Parts: sequence; structure tokens; C-alpha cells
Amino acid sequence: MGLWLEPNSNGRTYCSSLSCNFRNLPQVQLRSRIVDTPISNRRTEMTMERQQREEEKKPQTSENDKDEKVVQFLDSLNDYLTLMDSLSSALRQGWLELASARHSMGSWRINSAILDHKFHSASTTLQLSSPDDSNYNMKQPHFTLRKWESCDDEDFQSKEVKLDEDEVQKNSDDVQVQKERSKTLLVFGALVSPKLRDAQLSFETALETLVDIANRRSVMLSAYDHVREEILGTKQ
Amino acid sequence: MYGFEAMTFNVHSGYLEAIVRGYRSGLLTAADYNNLCQCETLDDIKMHLSATEYGPYLQNEPSPLHTTTIVEKCTLKLVDEYKHMLCQATEPLSTFLEYITYGHMIDNVVLIVTGTLHERDVQELLEKCHPLGMFDSIATLAVAQNMRELYRLVLVDTPLAPYFSECITSEDLDDMNIEIMRNTLYKAYLEDFYRFCKKLGGATAEIMSDLLSFEADRRAVNITINSIGTELTREDRKNLYSSFGLLYPYGHEELAACEDIDQVRAVMEKYPPYQSIFSKLSYGESQMLDKAFYEEEVKRLCLSFEQQFHFGVFFAYMRLKEQEIRNLMWISECVAQNQKSRVHDSVVFIF
Repeated sequence: MGLWLEPNSNGRTYCSSLSCNFRNLPQVQLRSRIVDTPISNRRTEMTMERQQREEEKKPQTSENDKDEKVVQFLDSLNDYLTLMDSLSSALRQGWLELASARHSMGSWRINSAILDHKFHSASTTLQLSSPDDSNYNMKQPHFTLRKWESCDDEDFQSKEVKLDEDEVQKNSDDVQVQKERSKTLLVFGALVSPKLRDAQLSFETALETLVDIANRRSVMLSAYDHVREEILGTKQ
Repeated sequence: MYGFEAMTFNVHSGYLEAIVRGYRSGLLTAADYNNLCQCETLDDIKMHLSATEYGPYLQNEPSPLHTTTIVEKCTLKLVDEYKHMLCQATEPLSTFLEYITYGHMIDNVVLIVTGTLHERDVQELLEKCHPLGMFDSIATLAVAQNMRELYRLVLVDTPLAPYFSECITSEDLDDMNIEIMRNTLYKAYLEDFYRFCKKLGGATAEIMSDLLSFEADRRAVNITINSIGTELTREDRKNLYSSFGLLYPYGHEELAACEDIDQVRAVMEKYPPYQSIFSKLSYGESQMLDKAFYEEEVKRLCLSFEQQFHFGVFFAYMRLKEQEIRNLMWISECVAQNQKSRVHDSVVFIF
């Protein structure tokens, strides 16, 4: 049995087993037909040709892998720096909005002396999945932020769980999150300025960015380790 | 009798009117604000303020300065000036000057009660109270569990006692009740102050009616905007509005039904004095509303100095001084956070 290629007037290459389009490949159509040929000789020739091609490709593949790892490291470093920049601007925005809220409502309404010292559960928690965990398959640690967990509603889902496609469920979660946000601001009074709500959103964004930074740093350090291994391996 | 104040006003209040007009000339000018806006650090601000009347209050403060320190020391100056005027005043000016501080008294009561509810130390809370609103038994507020006890144990002997009749309940204090109590007390205080000024008559009644009506209307707008998206019902919101002012009663009916800032804008634009304020804002924006209201207030307060022989100048000076302290607070925050490009977002020039 053998395979041969025929040019196709449509300009598409069909792979019978994969069912995908390769527009950039030569315009051929793949077909299968049973042909009577000396099978064993042909097989040996093909195997020898394949082995020769693989021997030639080996140093090139190793170089490509190294370059890929360096590119991965640089990409992760770029992402990390971008996230640090957005963290800085989110925090600056938040602090200015807080000052603006104090200017609007008065410094006696927004100050550290009225923060709640009673025991209450955290509204937001951070979960760390490390490679040592049996349920976790990745090589680097991963941080997951679970926001507004103090909600009593049983239908509430955390940020990291994929939301249903159902719009009603999504709207219900949004309303619940809004309620939780307003509840945390009750410390400063029930009727607070919109500027204080904006400050809350800015700090919330900063918190999410911080967790992204931690994850990106974890990936970056892992990529750096791979690059370092490659360099040390090359020197040896 | 209106128009004849010149005959009798100076007998008891002439000296103090001269004093307050002297204080007014010490307010910071646009040139002072321009110098302050160019400062790089809080120590630079301190250096510029040392050449003003705030100099003696800030000169002994060690570096590094904090924005709250600047605000505290500037407030101390206001308190000293107020006490000087109060100790020299006779009736009815002394009562008028005391009325000016009742708003701060309400804020201090709410601060102590809120802090106690959150299990904070009373001494720490007392340090954060406004000095103009202090009274003898304020620390005892920490003992009360509900409004009835609050009134019976402490507030019955204070000037705020008459304002409690509308909000005495036996419900335990929580954040929502405290907010309702704050706004109800302030509403009762404004209405009482308004009636007192009307009783004084003459130029004082005319000028103070205008200033207090503006205050009541601004409160109504702020309550409306701050309660959008909260659990406060329409009826509760309407009950917090004062029973006087340009917006009373039809504007209040419409404001109570507003669900967003654009609806508030549509209501306010029906009133010509507020049309100019909302014309400065773009649709859906509320960030600059505070500044727009402060600018209008400053304009009205400065105009009150154009007339003589009335008590409105004392109220106007106190409010202008508070605005100046707000300006200094904002400039200090922008300098401390290295955000000098935003300094003109909230500074209101007085002259």
C-alpha cells in the first residue's frame, strides 16, 4: 500500500485523518489508493531516508528549542514589567481617589480610627497551588484569588470558577458582588461618595494585578531556570 | 427693623465685625495658591505657609510632615479665632456663633458612636474629633447601645437634644441606623438654624436664608447621589431632605425618584441658580460636581461681605476658612502623592 500526492484545482490540501486546511502548503490533495508495489524494499528505503533526515535535523531542533526557551523567558519578563506598570498606575489612581473622597466627605468620616476591629471573615482570600500538591500538575506554583467569599448566598461562585453561559446566573453574581462591595464600605457610613466607590474599584484592580504579577513571576523564574539549564548544558 | 441696623449694630457687635473682616483679609489669595501648587514636598508647603498667618502654627512641626498634620494645625488656627470671637460676643451673636459649630458636634457624635460600634479605643476616637464640635461629656457616648440611651445618658444636656426627637428608637445601633441618625440630626439642625436666623430678622435673615437654603439644596443633591444603588428607599431618602430651600417641595419629590446622575441633572437644571453648576459637567459625570458646588458657595459667601451690620459675615468667614483648609489638604495630598497635575481638580480660589 502506498500514498501519492496529486495537484488539486481547488488549491487546498486535505489531510484525510486530521480534517484540517493548510492554506499555505503546496496546493495538493491527499488521496489514498491501494497500489501493487514491492513493499519491503520501498519500506527500507523510506526508513533509511527518514533516519537520515532526522540526523540532519537534530542540531537544528536543539537550537530552535533553546531559542524558544529564551523567547519564552523574554515574553514572561515583558509581561511581568507590563503588569508592574499597570499595578503602579492602579495604586496611584486609588490613592488619589481616596484623597478625593476624604476631600468630599471630610477627613473625620474617612480615617483609620473607624475601621472595624470586630472579628469578621475575610471577604477575599488567596489560594496557593504548589507542585507538591497531589491535585496540581503544573511545575510552578500558582496563585488564585477568590473574591467576595463572605457572601452567604449558596449560588455564589468564585472568580476563578468558570461562569455559566446563562446570563441570569451571571447577572445574579454581579448583583451579589455589588452588594458585597457596598457592605464593605458601610464602615465609612451607608451614604458614601461615588469617589470612595471608585477608590474601592481601583484597589480591587490593583489586588488582581498583584496576583497576576505573582503568577507571572513564577512563570518567569521557571523559564529562567530552563534557559539557565540550556546554557549550562551547552557549556558542558 | 431692616435698613436701620446701622443705628444699633455696632453697640454690641461692631468690634467683632471689624475683627472678622480683619480675619477675612488674612485668607490666602490666588498668588499664594499658585506658589503652593508649585511645591515639590510638604516641607516646601510648610515654608510657604510660614510667611502667612499659619506660620506660628506650623513652625515647630518636625520633618517629615504629614498631610494630616498640616490640616490639624490649620484647623487649630480657625479654632483659636472662633474662640476669640465667641468669648467677646454677647447675645444674640453668641448663640449665632454656637449654631455654627453644631454641625461639627453632630459629626463628632457619629464618629464616637461608629468607632465604638467597631470596637475602637475611645481615646483614639477623641483625637480624631473636630475641635469645634467638642463638648464635656462626649467620651460618655461610648457607653450607649441604642439611640434612646444615647439621648438619655449624654445628649439630653447638649444643644443637640432638641434634634433627637425624630430619631429616638430602642433599636441597637448599626451602620445604617447611624447614617440615618446623622442625616436626621443634620436636617433638624439646619431647620432650627434657619428659624433662628429668620427670627433675628433684617439683613441677617436675608443673607443667612440664602446661604442656608443653598446648603440644604446641596445636601439634598449629595444625599441623592450617594444613595443611588444603595438600599435606602425612596421614602427614607425624601425624609432626609430639609424642609426649606429652593428645591423644597417639588424638587425634593423629583430628586427622591432619581436613579442615576443624569436624572439628578435633569431635575436640577430646571432651577436657574443650579443650571450654571450642572452646565459645567458632562453627561454621566459627577466627579467635578463637588468643586462646582464649592465654587458657587464661595461666590455667595464672598458676596455676604459686601453688606454691613449683619451676622452673616461670621458664618461666611468660618465657611471660607474651612474651604481654605480643604484647599490646603488637597494641595498637600497632591504634592505628597506626586500628582501635581491633578491639583487644580479640587482647589477653589477664594479671591
